[in-house]
Amino acid sequence: MSGDLFGRSGRDARARPAAPGPGGQRGVPRPRVLTVSAAASLAKDVLESGMPPLWIEGEVTGWKRSASGHCYFTLRDRTAQLRSVMFRLEAQQLPADPGEGMEVRAFGTLTIFEKRGDFQFVVRELEASGAGGLWRVALERLHRRLEAEGLLDARRKRPLPRFPQVVGVVTSPVGAALQDILRVVAARAPWTRIVLSPTRVQGEGAGAEVARALALFARRRLADVIIVGRGGGSAEDLWAFNEEIVVRAIAASPVPVISAVGHEIDLTLSDLVADFSAPTPSAAAEKAVPDRDAVSRHLGGLRERLALSLRRSVEARRQSASWAGDRLRAGAGRFLARRRERAGMLAGKLDALSPLAALRRGFAVPLGADGTVLRGKADFEPAMPFDLRVADGSVPCRVEDRPESGP
Amino acid sequence: MSESPQTLEARIAAVEAIVARLESDRLELEEALRLFEAGVGQLREVERVIRAAELRVERLIAEADGSVVAEPVDGAGP
Repeated sequence: MSGDLFGRSGRDARARPAAPGPGGQRGVPRPRVLTVSAAASLAKDVLESGMPPLWIEGEVTGWKRSASGHCYFTLRDRTAQLRSVMFRLEAQQLPADPGEGMEVRAFGTLTIFEKRGDFQFVVRELEASGAGGLWRVALERLHRRLEAEGLLDARRKRPLPRFPQVVGVVTSPVGAALQDILRVVAARAPWTRIVLSPTRVQGEGAGAEVARALALFARRRLADVIIVGRGGGSAEDLWAFNEEIVVRAIAASPVPVISAVGHEIDLTLSDLVADFSAPTPSAAAEKAVPDRDAVSRHLGGLRERLALSLRRSVEARRQSASWAGDRLRAGAGRFLARRRERAGMLAGKLDALSPLAALRRGFAVPLGADGTVLRGKADFEPAMPFDLRVADGSVPCRVEDRPESGP
Repeated sequence: MSESPQTLEARIAAVEAIVARLESDRLELEEALRLFEAGVGQLREVERVIRAAELRVERLIAEADGSVVAEPVDGAGP
């Protein structure tokens, strides 16, 4: 139709507008007069039909995202520039806004914005020309932001439980990752309960699903540790694990998270923020649960130490009892020695008071035949025998017959 | 979390704490005996759990009312 129009208007253009006034004269074809709208519309049709959608590369300048979500910018090179727009629906798909001066490739349609008569490029797809493109840009920006917030701080990393009873798994229910995890856990720690929160792990909306699954576990503390990830894939396949919503869900999880994004070169942001980052789902499972032999050894060790320490405890009591006995005996010995010493002293004192001492000093005691002490004259009769007791024995004596001469 | 009141982790940690006390503190013999028995009991329980168990796989399902249930997955496992 526009070709048709172009043809006709071409012919029309050769004809001068007829003056004066309306109405044809003398059969001269009346020149065709277009309204501004019609002209703009015509030009738009011509342009759009003549130039099918195409790729254009250039430098972005003046990128502006309006409140409505549409993005306006200019594409330029050294000698020309092109007003460009990316509407909300397409702009939403961009991982990041391109920076000022960034070299990009854009796919879209050259057209005319009739309302303002602007020649413009309506962009449907936009990619940065540099390595990794806008994804890389988005990644780096988010990385810087997370770093500034301290979310990548190694001190944030929590220790993993040593003996988790419930392992939460956030991954695809049909992927190899899940099978790998199940196999490893079954072999190492078959007492474990695995709770799967199935999600898609790539494609539009996968990130939101992963984040939601993590939040489910978080809300009820349904697991002791969570493995989140997928098997290997291309950088695009792994993109969900670079999405802010996923990274923040991992950071916010009250339950420690092990990331397991199968990758060979780059770590994803999920890996950086997780409490532990495993290179594969199998490695994540190995990190998540202890090996049954190791657990058995540990338990055996504890059992031995329990028994040993109890034995020591009993032994210590026996030792104490024995020390107490020793102390008792020693104490008793000292007690006796003191008594003995005291007894000796008393013996000395007694000795001083003893009549034997008087005998030793030269006194003698006369004793009658029955052993009574002869204390006075009246106790003696003439010729009466008696013993004179001296210090070292007794001497037999006899009273003389001579009568007593006066008192 | 699990349905048993005490997790494996908690039980093993309890035994470790008991061993540490027994090894370091001077305890009354009665206390030492009591701790020893508690420790052995916990160990027995842990070993029972570890021996008896078979990998259970459940699937988390968010209900419309916002609650979350975990239901067994049939035929899952290696």
